[in-house]
Amino acid sequence: MRHPVAWVLWTVSSATAALLTRNPLYLILIALAAWFVYLVVGQSSSLARSWQGLLKLGALIWLVTIPFNALMIHHGTHVLFTLPKNWPLLGGAITLEAVVMGLVSGFALWTLLLIFAAFNTAVDASLLLRLVPPFFYQAGVVASIGLTFVPQMLLSAQEIREAQRIRGHRFRSWRDFLPLLMPLLTTAFEHAIQLAESMEARGFGGGLTNPAEETLLRRLLLASLSLVLGGLALPLLWEIRIFGELLLLLAGGIFFYALYRVGRHVQRSHYRRLRWTRSSSLIALSSAATLLGIGLIYSVDRAALTYYPYQPSGLLPPFEARIGFLLSLLALPGLVSLFEEAPSASVPLQTQGNGGERSA
Amino acid sequence: MISFRHVTYSYPGANQPVLQDLSLEIEDGEFVLVVGKSGAGKSTFLRCINGLVPHFYGGTIGGTIEVQGQNPILSSPREMSALVGFVFQDPEAQFVTDTVEAELAFAMENHNVPQATMRKRVEEVLDQLNIAHLRHRRISTLSGGEKQRVAIASVLTLEPQVLVLDEPTSQLDPQAAEEVLTALQKLNADLGLTIILSEHRLERIVQYADRLIYLPGAGYPPIEGTPREVLSKIELAPPLIQLGRALHWEPLPLTIKEARRFARQLQLSERTPAERPKPSTSPEIIIEDLWYASNGHPALRGISLEINQGERVAIMGRNGSGKTTLLKQIVGLLSPQRGRVRVRGLDTRHTPLEELIKFVGYVPQDPNALLFADSVKEELLFTQRNHGLPEGEGIDEILRLLSLSELAEAYPRDLSVGERQRVALAAILAARPEIIVLDEPTRGLDYLQKKALAHYLEEERAKGHTVILSTHDVELVAASVDRVIILGEGEIVVDGSTREVMTHSMVFSSQVNKLLRDDRYLTVEDVLRDLP
Repeated sequence: MRHPVAWVLWTVSSATAALLTRNPLYLILIALAAWFVYLVVGQSSSLARSWQGLLKLGALIWLVTIPFNALMIHHGTHVLFTLPKNWPLLGGAITLEAVVMGLVSGFALWTLLLIFAAFNTAVDASLLLRLVPPFFYQAGVVASIGLTFVPQMLLSAQEIREAQRIRGHRFRSWRDFLPLLMPLLTTAFEHAIQLAESMEARGFGGGLTNPAEETLLRRLLLASLSLVLGGLALPLLWEIRIFGELLLLLAGGIFFYALYRVGRHVQRSHYRRLRWTRSSSLIALSSAATLLGIGLIYSVDRAALTYYPYQPSGLLPPFEARIGFLLSLLALPGLVSLFEEAPSASVPLQTQGNGGERSA
Repeated sequence: MISFRHVTYSYPGANQPVLQDLSLEIEDGEFVLVVGKSGAGKSTFLRCINGLVPHFYGGTIGGTIEVQGQNPILSSPREMSALVGFVFQDPEAQFVTDTVEAELAFAMENHNVPQATMRKRVEEVLDQLNIAHLRHRRISTLSGGEKQRVAIASVLTLEPQVLVLDEPTSQLDPQAAEEVLTALQKLNADLGLTIILSEHRLERIVQYADRLIYLPGAGYPPIEGTPREVLSKIELAPPLIQLGRALHWEPLPLTIKEARRFARQLQLSERTPAERPKPSTSPEIIIEDLWYASNGHPALRGISLEINQGERVAIMGRNGSGKTTLLKQIVGLLSPQRGRVRVRGLDTRHTPLEELIKFVGYVPQDPNALLFADSVKEELLFTQRNHGLPEGEGIDEILRLLSLSELAEAYPRDLSVGERQRVALAAILAARPEIIVLDEPTRGLDYLQKKALAHYLEEERAKGHTVILSTHDVELVAASVDRVIILGEGEIVVDGSTREVMTHSMVFSSQVNKLLRDDRYLTVEDVLRDLP
């Protein structure tokens, strides 16, 4: 695995490119690059399997949105067929352009999903947390645990549904949700309590122990809140807006100072040092090149990235080699992973063992 | 040293204290076993040692507690974590990260331990617990016993002087429990670590303990002493101790080895074994060449068996051997990918679940999956409504049978694990099923509750109902099951009468049977019946 910063850069670069263009050829290039990366890094990750389901679901939603776009938008010259005009919303010409536009928009969204799937399988959540500033660390841990709760909740939901079905439970009205919802919520809550206990028993949470410091913090937050209120109220009473804005700025400053003071109390060490390797540099540089290049093209020659199947443009998308080259750089992390033998920047992970445990 | 002086504690909003005027002491380096009925305050007592009670739970506390010179009532659990390591019951619910090494480092990172020290300690702890080969594994791929050893390792990295464990083996199969207990014994012997542990299945652990503390419940003083002393006085005792007490063996044997000396002198009459009444020979469940895989992992491989009406069958085997999958196939929640399952002649693949549940009842492993209503009684009425049965019919009898009459109006989620288990069972029985399927019904039950369960199984047999249960509990099986099927990696490894299977197995055998190695004797009652 490469340094998480390199992966963050890759993700930002790929996602920006996918957001800035609607040209299907460029989107296909981005998707192919992300798919390649996902397949290569996903080999060593059990997370990849859980993303597979989400990607399939994304593809399904995409397919459903195509007819939606085609039925709602009736512009275009290539008419496929016409629905009676008196049908509300749906009535009118169904055009090839609308179908193509729906296809491309859905594809752009699915490409984004693919990019995040690759990012999530490539980077360990705990490594990512290390990039978070100290004062957000605890919130970060809570958020990352929240994410791991989702698959667990889905699993318990399945068990609860089965248990209640055998008990003869059937859906007839909204009240029938209760036998499923109540056990799910209470089970999740009890699980959360257990985890919180386990974290606290291992020294997580620290925070402020000095009462004087706590009082100071409270005062700082109170001052910040008063300034925000003042800053919002002032322009209503007085014509000169600059004073209100200054107060808001001051409030923001105090708030961040308070966070900084809390952060100073979170003293943590790290078991693994994150190493910046040559392949990290390669990925970071290539991703930066794509980001800069695409950004530059977008600001100078926006038309090069757009795609418009309607008149006066044509259905066929244009293709420029320079853009194609920049986007193909996004496949580099996959290539690097293929040719690199040992994982380099972090804990090496082994996923397949002989002790696969299922509840039985 | 750990000392409790006149400690009284109540949870927030509770009318009664859980601990009342509790005073006791634990010496350094002791291996102490804490026992007591469900709800006697064992978990609360353990949580007082590292300050989770009262810091995490709130409530009111009185008296003084001292742990290695620190007062956990004044210090936070964070400060206590360097002195006291705490391991919880559920191996699934206590992990924060997803790999073994990261989990081991978590506590040290929180304490800002320098990196070089962390490296050294991780290596040491991996060796101490014999889990060095697991260091890079993802926690989700570990077995139950491995997970619990990782949980122990993850608190040992702070080099605590006391290790507290709250029922650490209750969710493990016998082999995995053995792995964990052997590791604990080694830590106690080699490092001089004080170990305080609560457990229901005393037969697994009593031989390792130096001292036993029995908590009889709030208001009564604890009974303390060597395991021998305490076990001769208390109601909760494993079968071997019960036998020793009944036959006045002195000194009371704690292990099979110790008991053999007495067993040799036993004069048992050569009466024929009290055969359990044969169930009818009409097959109620027929499974033919059943194959099933989930997520590409084979769970059941070519299972063929017949279960007759009125039989009580136990499905046993290690965690992950396919027990739950087989039960779900029988109740129709899963369909065979190959082969056939027929319940009362109905093929589960072609029969809607609504048809099957007219006579099949299923209690899942986790009773919490069922309970949602405002009262115990309401849970039973809900099942009856679902089945279109006359509401309230027979409910009082079911509640009485499962000793729940007094709890009829209680909120199910407020009850203890054992009580919830019985409420879940009652909720299923309310539909009066004739085939009853139970998945791990003895989790978290003490000996008395297990006895009540055995009694219930006896009543079901009298009614001619079929009972199929999956369990690790050999004593329950010995007391109340006719036939044992042992699964290994999705295949039937052994299938035979309980007496036959137990006498020929080293692992799946009751204490009494291990002692006498005679298929006539599985339980204390069997032996007492044959005394001259």
